[in-house]
Amino acid sequence: MTTTETATEPTLRVYVYVWLGMLAIVAIEAVLVYAHVSSGMLLASLLVLAFLEAAVALRYFMHLRYEVPLLFWTLIPGLLLAFVMMNQFWADAARLNTLRFPIP
Amino acid sequence: MTMDSVSASITELPPATPHDHAPPESFLRKYVFSLDHKVIGKQYLGLGLIAVCTGMFLSWVMRYHLAFPDKAVPLIGWIAPTFAAGGVITPEFYLQLMTMHGTIMVFFVLTTAPFAGFGNFVLPIQVGAEDMAFPRFNMMSFWVTFVAFAVLVAAFFVPDGPPLSGWTAYAPLSAVGKSSGPGEGLGQTLWVIAIGIFCIGQLLGSLNFIATTLDLRAKGMTLARLPYSTWAWFITSMIGLIAFSVLLPACVLLLLDRVAGTSFFIPAGLVVSDAIQPHSGGSPLLWQHLFWFFGHPEVYIAIVPGFGIISTILPAVCRKPHLGPKVLIASQLAIAGLSYMVWGHHMFLSGMSPSSATLFSVPTLIITIPSAIITLLWLGTIYGSKLRLNTAALFCLGFVSVFVTGGLSGFFLSQPSIDTYLHGTYFVVGHFHFVMGVAAMFGIFAGTYFWFPKMFGRMMNETLGKWHFALTFIGVYATFMPMHWLGLEGNVRRYSSFPSDYMHGSLPLHRFITYSALFLGASQLIFLVNLIWSRFRGPVAPDNPWEATSLEWSTTSPPPFDNFGGVHPVVYHGPNEYGVSGPRGDYIMQTDPPVAAAPAATA
Amino acid sequence: MSDSAMTAGSMHGAAMEPSPFLITSRKLTMWLFIVADAATFGAILFGYGYLRFGSPNWTKPFTFSPNIINGLVMTVVLLTSSLTMLCGVAAAREGRSGATMKWLGATILLGVTFAVLHLREWTGMFHEGWSLSKNPMGGSVQVGALFFSITGLHLLHVISGVIAITVIAIGFRARKFTAGHVETTGLYWHFVDLVWMFVFPLLYLLNVR
Ligand code: HEM
Ligand SMILES: [Cu+2]
Repeated sequence: MTTTETATEPTLRVYVYVWLGMLAIVAIEAVLVYAHVSSGMLLASLLVLAFLEAAVALRYFMHLRYEVPLLFWTLIPGLLLAFVMMNQFWADAARLNTLRFPIP
Repeated sequence: MTMDSVSASITELPPATPHDHAPPESFLRKYVFSLDHKVIGKQYLGLGLIAVCTGMFLSWVMRYHLAFPDKAVPLIGWIAPTFAAGGVITPEFYLQLMTMHGTIMVFFVLTTAPFAGFGNFVLPIQVGAEDMAFPRFNMMSFWVTFVAFAVLVAAFFVPDGPPLSGWTAYAPLSAVGKSSGPGEGLGQTLWVIAIGIFCIGQLLGSLNFIATTLDLRAKGMTLARLPYSTWAWFITSMIGLIAFSVLLPACVLLLLDRVAGTSFFIPAGLVVSDAIQPHSGGSPLLWQHLFWFFGHPEVYIAIVPGFGIISTILPAVCRKPHLGPKVLIASQLAIAGLSYMVWGHHMFLSGMSPSSATLFSVPTLIITIPSAIITLLWLGTIYGSKLRLNTAALFCLGFVSVFVTGGLSGFFLSQPSIDTYLHGTYFVVGHFHFVMGVAAMFGIFAGTYFWFPKMFGRMMNETLGKWHFALTFIGVYATFMPMHWLGLEGNVRRYSSFPSDYMHGSLPLHRFITYSALFLGASQLIFLVNLIWSRFRGPVAPDNPWEATSLEWSTTSPPPFDNFGGVHPVVYHGPNEYGVSGPRGDYIMQTDPPVAAAPAATA
Repeated sequence: MSDSAMTAGSMHGAAMEPSPFLITSRKLTMWLFIVADAATFGAILFGYGYLRFGSPNWTKPFTFSPNIINGLVMTVVLLTSSLTMLCGVAAAREGRSGATMKWLGATILLGVTFAVLHLREWTGMFHEGWSLSKNPMGGSVQVGALFFSITGLHLLHVISGVIAITVIAIGFRARKFTAGHVETTGLYWHFVDLVWMFVFPLLYLLNVR
């Protein structure tokens, strides 16, 4: 049988390290909020950290790192393309502020 | 050819891997809650047939009213006494008809029939599987879709009737509720729920299609040997997977706006029916973005299965290999990717940021390239072939014709400056009826004439079929071509009539279109008669009437419950082995033993 | 136990081409579902960004205590539940039924804790006057609408996950489900965790007063 549930399996220790790393990222996020950075900077850094966490979760918790690379290429780029394209929303969100009637 | 003669070429394995569900005994299990992908495929096609008849009837009422604005429409006063008393069509009722026509056609005909219907019946056989990967999900997918249809149609039977916001359900009209017009109460709520349920059904179907294509392929059926229709259904599933998952939350948010007092899509200070609405802070454009983020991929969900059907039939009727199979698949993959980059071309006139308009216009122009490549590959395949001009072939040629006609008007519409003029007119109606409506319908017809023998074990009548094609082809051009002129003249769409205003001059053309539409509809009776007659009286079909290569033709017509009668087919060839010389003649089936390929070169 | 209990003919014996991903159909389908679900959450989060960006009168409802503390505890709880889930999968694969039950039980408990903390927070907010259509601070009504609908969607996923893990755990003990089922459920559970990694910073941390 070539088909197995998973290929290689990382040890529990790896998982605990990953878990600690994710907790650390969450802690950094919380500190950032109270670190008086500008709101744009805060948003950017929170997003970067969130994507970092997502990548770690995908690679280790969800084993994507241990699957055949084709699985990654089938699943992730298309999804990312969709998200990249959704950035076209912003131009209209910004215009809302200039075009909207004052709220009664 | 019989099952026996092919079984020699199929490696026989001990039936140690039985179908996980035994053939069902009871009527309910066999025909209603069946797990068999063949039955489910037919159920989807049946649903599509009911839906298309309903949708077409609605369009007749609209067309009659457009041509004869002062006359009562016959019969309708009797059918719908509450909405159209005495057969008088009010502007609101016209919009209700239009909404239901569009919704039924786009979701329950053009999505269910070519994708879910034919895909379900044919895909598992073409890859050499006994059934779908998850038969229970498959059954659920159909019944969920059926419930969606029932919920949508229920809108006809609620007091205010169906909604009037079109198949795109633009907010705030669709969001503020009852006060914005008849049908915008319960009717619109039912619409939102129906489309939400529909998304779930199609997501279940897409998951199943992808898992089946990738995991249940017979020995030797490498990805490169998958028939082109299977590739097309597979790519369609990948498009649908993300498209429907975006429409689903959009529908949930719209529903919350309607029933929970939120204002996601409703701006502040909106006055409807002289009353200021208790909403603020939302954005109607957000609905349009979310809807069209789904909506443009959706038009490809409707047409890509047609690509696959045409590319499967063309080599079989041309008796030569399909030109550039790799380019064909690559172009479809490119279309799938690009279909997520162009949605804003539906919003050029919606108050969208003009800078985004450019960013949407460019990919829209680029997406015509893979579409044009595919068309050229078809033309190259047809060029110089010994075409067997049967009905399926005729509908393939018709498909190419209407797809080009509709695609050409897409070039104009993709330029924001030109679209500003054309967007609100019949030009767009002409465009999408050709490229989406009629092209996808021609795909459905071609598929029906081609696979009917496999589905029911009987041949369809070719004479009736050819008449059906000829009249349909004429009817389609006569109905939808003049719409381009109407649009260029400035004839707006979604208006119920043009009695005495500046559009009055277009009335003769509207009359012509109405006559053509009635003629077109009447010619479909030939198809219905042919279907019913052939189902019971048609000549018994051989296993491979078209001398085609893919796996569904190497089993009996109709296939046994487990598709291959307990044997596991083994594949040695690609689907494109036409115009060669093998022991069978000018083609080699995918399951033919490899030795047959050798002498081909010397012939 | 072979996969045939779930899927027709997905036994990749000599009669079939191997899956290009070398995983079971069940796992592939879970991955595809996750991609679809990610698109759903992505779309709704983009909608949040859109309406927030376009609301000049946005108000930030949260303070360090109790909201952010509560949110941090919820985050730690959910992250830890991913770890217990991984232990459960490992135990299931080694056939240690008792350990599997223990770890899955811990995961369920943590999931329930998350849901309870979340609902408690919601009730607190309701008492302050927040709702889908009301903002007690007088600013944009979108604040409550987006907060409750997005966290509600996520909470729905948590609750479905808890139910799914319970069903799978019971089935695993009864030998009706395999380690493969446990792993596939785990995949879903990690995804619910992953989504929270976006919901927490975007809906809580960016809304601190
Ligand atoms: C050849 C490539 C194509 C181009 C460049 C193109 C371009 C466009 C553009 C720019 C519009 C917006 C017009 C407007 O609303 O003002 C449009 C509308 C539309 N197109 Fe296409 N299109 C193409 C192919 C297709 C295909 C293949 C389909 C369907 C299978 C399709 C279906 C539709 C539909 C349904 C609408 C109108 C929806 C509505 O407003 O109700 N198009 N097209
Ligand atoms: Cu489009």
